[in-house]
Amino acid sequence: MTILTQKEKGARHLLMGNEAIARGALEAGVAVAAGYPGTPSSEIIENLAKVSDEANLYVEWSINEKVAMEVAAAASFAELRSICVLKQNGLNVASDFLLHLAGSGTRGGMLVIACDDPGALSSINEGDTRHFARLLEIPLLEPGDFQEAKDMTKWAFELSEMMQNVVMVRSVTRLSHASGNVVFGELPEVEKKARFRHEGFFLDPNEGVVTSSPVFYKHELQQKKLAKAVEAFEDSPFNTYSGPENPEVLIITSSACNLYSREAIHILEAKDRVGLLKLGTTWPLPPKLLEKYLSKTDKILIVEEVIPFLEENVKILAMELAPKIGIKTFYAKRDGSIPAFNEMNPDLVINPLAKILGIDYEAMPAEYVAQSQDFTTTGAPARDLTFCPGCPHRASFWSINHVLKLDNNQGFVCGDIGCYSMAMLPTGFSTAKTMHAMGSGTGVASGFGKLGKFGMEQPAVAVCGDSTFFHAVIPALANAVHHKSDITLIVLDNSGTAMTGFQPHPGLKVDAQGKEALDLDIQAICESMGAKVDISDPFEFEQTQQKLFDLLELKDGVKVLILRQICALSPEKKGKKKYEMAIDETACMGENCGCNRLCTRILRCPGLIWDKEKNTSKIDEAICAGCGVCASVCPEGAISRKEVA
Amino acid sequence: MTQILGSKELMAQVRNKDLCTACGGCVGLCPYHKAYKGKIAMTFDCDMAEGRCYAHCPKTETDFEALSQRLFESEYKGTPLGTYRRITAAKAGPKMAGDRFQNGGTVSALMTLALENSLIDAAVLTGKDGIVPEPKIVTEAADVVKCASTKYMAAPTVACLNEGAGQGYTNMGIVGTPCQLTAVAQMRLNPLNKADFKDITALTVGIFCTWALDTRKFLDFLKQRVDTQKITSMDVPPPPAEIFVVKTADETIEIPLDEIRAMVPNGCSICPDMTAEWSDLSVGAFEGKPGWNVLVVRTEKGGKLVDQAVEAGYLVLDDFPEESLQHLNLGAGNKKKRAQENAERMDS
Amino acid sequence: MQKLSVDPFNLIITGVGGQGNVMASRVLGNMLSKNGYFVSIGETFGASQRGGSVMSHLRISCESSFSPQIAKGQGHMVVALEPTEALRVLGNYGNPQINVLCNTRPIHSVGVISGEQKYPELEEIKEMIAKLSQNAWYIDATDKALSLMKNPIFGNIMLVGALAATAVLPLNKDDFETTITQTMPADKVALNMQAFEMGGKMID
Repeated sequence: MTILTQKEKGARHLLMGNEAIARGALEAGVAVAAGYPGTPSSEIIENLAKVSDEANLYVEWSINEKVAMEVAAAASFAELRSICVLKQNGLNVASDFLLHLAGSGTRGGMLVIACDDPGALSSINEGDTRHFARLLEIPLLEPGDFQEAKDMTKWAFELSEMMQNVVMVRSVTRLSHASGNVVFGELPEVEKKARFRHEGFFLDPNEGVVTSSPVFYKHELQQKKLAKAVEAFEDSPFNTYSGPENPEVLIITSSACNLYSREAIHILEAKDRVGLLKLGTTWPLPPKLLEKYLSKTDKILIVEEVIPFLEENVKILAMELAPKIGIKTFYAKRDGSIPAFNEMNPDLVINPLAKILGIDYEAMPAEYVAQSQDFTTTGAPARDLTFCPGCPHRASFWSINHVLKLDNNQGFVCGDIGCYSMAMLPTGFSTAKTMHAMGSGTGVASGFGKLGKFGMEQPAVAVCGDSTFFHAVIPALANAVHHKSDITLIVLDNSGTAMTGFQPHPGLKVDAQGKEALDLDIQAICESMGAKVDISDPFEFEQTQQKLFDLLELKDGVKVLILRQICALSPEKKGKKKYEMAIDETACMGENCGCNRLCTRILRCPGLIWDKEKNTSKIDEAICAGCGVCASVCPEGAISRKEVA
Repeated sequence: MTQILGSKELMAQVRNKDLCTACGGCVGLCPYHKAYKGKIAMTFDCDMAEGRCYAHCPKTETDFEALSQRLFESEYKGTPLGTYRRITAAKAGPKMAGDRFQNGGTVSALMTLALENSLIDAAVLTGKDGIVPEPKIVTEAADVVKCASTKYMAAPTVACLNEGAGQGYTNMGIVGTPCQLTAVAQMRLNPLNKADFKDITALTVGIFCTWALDTRKFLDFLKQRVDTQKITSMDVPPPPAEIFVVKTADETIEIPLDEIRAMVPNGCSICPDMTAEWSDLSVGAFEGKPGWNVLVVRTEKGGKLVDQAVEAGYLVLDDFPEESLQHLNLGAGNKKKRAQENAERMDS
Repeated sequence: MQKLSVDPFNLIITGVGGQGNVMASRVLGNMLSKNGYFVSIGETFGASQRGGSVMSHLRISCESSFSPQIAKGQGHMVVALEPTEALRVLGNYGNPQINVLCNTRPIHSVGVISGEQKYPELEEIKEMIAKLSQNAWYIDATDKALSLMKNPIFGNIMLVGALAATAVLPLNKDDFETTITQTMPADKVALNMQAFEMGGKMID
């Protein structure tokens, strides 16, 4: 029994946003949850998976988000309640299916739970999924605090069943990964019976064919459904107003910006001057509600993250309502009051709000600011991202760099998404030179591999993780093989979806629920496609480099090298040292010609630091993971390793 | 004294300008310069202000005066053949009778004796893996002849000398081309003034060289014309024949020299040294006398070894006629001139 | 519910990824939430764990819940698992009245390891922190965890114990025991209690 399945209605708990969403789904009697790991969304599936037996759920880490969406949809077609959980990139992957799903409609309540990452704390983009709701013409709900994260998720199923269409619930990192107090509701006993009715008339929404065709008919129907949602939004408890009857300034906001706006009003002590309209139903906007609050004042501050969505939608309504409510002055992104990139925080609301209210606000005394900034610059060296101590990727890229450099043909790596994306950085010896989306490393390399006819002689090497291989690389690899593209794919197999918290994937013997699953063999798949395949342990430098040299020699066709070594943070490995490391200070050449600090200057493992008194390297025993790789790196053999019993 | 810089400057002045001839003088000293298939690359950046890599490189500025003083204790004169005591014709003597040589076998004979009489504890020679040159450290006299015959392809032989020093040999011999021995000579100056520097080079034998071939380009070229596994010999017959001859078990292929010259590394065009001036002894093919070598004795040590070799039956000497000497001078002088012209053209 | 010295109380726990920052903030959050306080916790984890700085903001209040992000200059207490991270936090959230509890063990960034950056001496760090705060306590939690408990990870719990001993917040051993018993397997509870007590003793 975990907190999430506790039956005590009215109990108060401290929950992470994602945990609150999971609880909301449980309180709604969800039956099926599918997703693909993606920060900041992963904990929703993880928490539901932990209670899957207890709460009678089927929870799946699907091979990719498109399939996850399809799996969740099937449950909905079979009259069960389901959710598909993903991060912003995942929605892009699933969007083709979702477009058609929004046209075909659903049966059991189905939610798409999209967790965005404004500020790109764990992504290489800050895409905004809210726009999909408008594009796909489905309702959009955004919780503005932790209680709403639960309550809204629960209610969203009712909305979905009322409309017979999929509903999008959108969260952001600062809600999903933050924690706050949540009061629990009732946990129902729900009978979950799966039945797909299909023997009725073609167009029957409950017993017909589930498809988005005939398009004009279904599209009009979809728009009518959306109009029903707007009616429900007009008096939704998720749109709240706090503040004076006649405020000087009205803040319109949603999502985590609600919390920042509240904070700003509190700090400026302006709750008698500023009204806060927090919208939870952000697409489509309920026009009557907006009319009521837009009438209250002429100064409107719209607070949201990244590119304008709320702003544009409010402005359209305001323009239509202008004859009734007058002309408004908006402070938002288009006039520069709020930035259109990076995440928001309380100060980014305090500053424009103080200006509008004519308040002189000083966050910190000026001398404190000057001194603290000076001290931070000199006293707090910035922390570059790096592979963990003991990470097999550090060893893999060491060898890949070695081989590409010695091959001397300006070879390069087309990177992909995972911890190994850091191959772009010094921690991965800057080997990766392109980096986009899941599977795109192999796709892009497949393209490079055909440019020989235009004089391209540089070897293109794609990398991917074991999870990424299944997610999106397989079609790209098939493309390369079929077209005889001259590329090498290196699969960095660390036995899990590591970046996001070590979740399982189709290459492993276990599923999200911890139950036995059939493992697909990456080597067999590549070989059956017709690629030339070899395997090595990345911790064995000589063998790995020789195998890669040998594969690069084979000019025609696709080569695959699987580098297999488990992630340092996996439950099997974490906290267990294989070796005890030691440095012979007399043998260390350090800063001299012949070494020039190869280990600390280039390998840069956090567990191997520089002792500036002795002018040698030193093992930091609090951090060293005992993988033994640095012993293979030292040109003088000054680093030794002893196996731990 | 020339200025010693670091690998950043080495890359800028030599490698990135395509002047590297892969002599290997920078390889085996550190983890950054490594050789693979006849080409040398840097695995990572090195930001040392002064490095042995730069100091050893024959394509960075060379202090001929310093080398001359170190090796010969005399002034540098800039003559076409460099400093020498005597030049003779030579070939392997009766003690080497069981072996077959491309030319005279003089180098093999000298190195075999040097190992046998422990003048050196190891010899750095260029062996072969098929037809691909492979530098190696040889400690058994009987293994010397396995490394015989002209390689034509540039190989990073000096890397082995650097590695041998690391392995603890203290009296190494090396057979090398002019650029390789220039690197060795610069190394012996202790360019970084290290207190713990040891000169582990006991014997240097140079081989004449007008040009070498880029290993990778040449191998690709050959692979398109012949099964490289079956090649038994390669040779450039003396002028006026302008051909390169490749023999396999089944056939003999003649390739116009012009096609071959297209694969000469750029760096060879600025090399002023035809007869390997910075050595104890230098050996080349005696074009006028097939089956014989030209042997140039430069140092006292070299001379002593030659005398020993003759006495012990390893070497047979003969006169080197004046005409041949003039011819040799002309050839070496022309190489120096071409090098000067090419260097000036590159700088402009 | 005991009144707080200031409401909301803004606590920042900071350190380097892997030090157990997140666990410490959850434990503290739960200890306070159980006693009826409104608690919000904002965390930065994910990619930043790969050697980056990790920061948790805790808002504690008797009145209502607040944003999980603290505004500039609004910090009341900094608990730093790593000394330079204390300075980094003070640069954004500090003010002359703020208090600091700091673990002294350095973790070198890769920039420092590679020689590109310089890591300041501990004495320099203490001087800088003194100029930016009202009170500062220093404990060598990691060293004690390594030597006495053979595992550096207990450093974070020692800091929780030390924080309780400073009495800036209403935290006590019983609340800790209740919370840890609910979140940890039974065989780990005793070790965590030991770490908590050791941490408390390091504050005089």
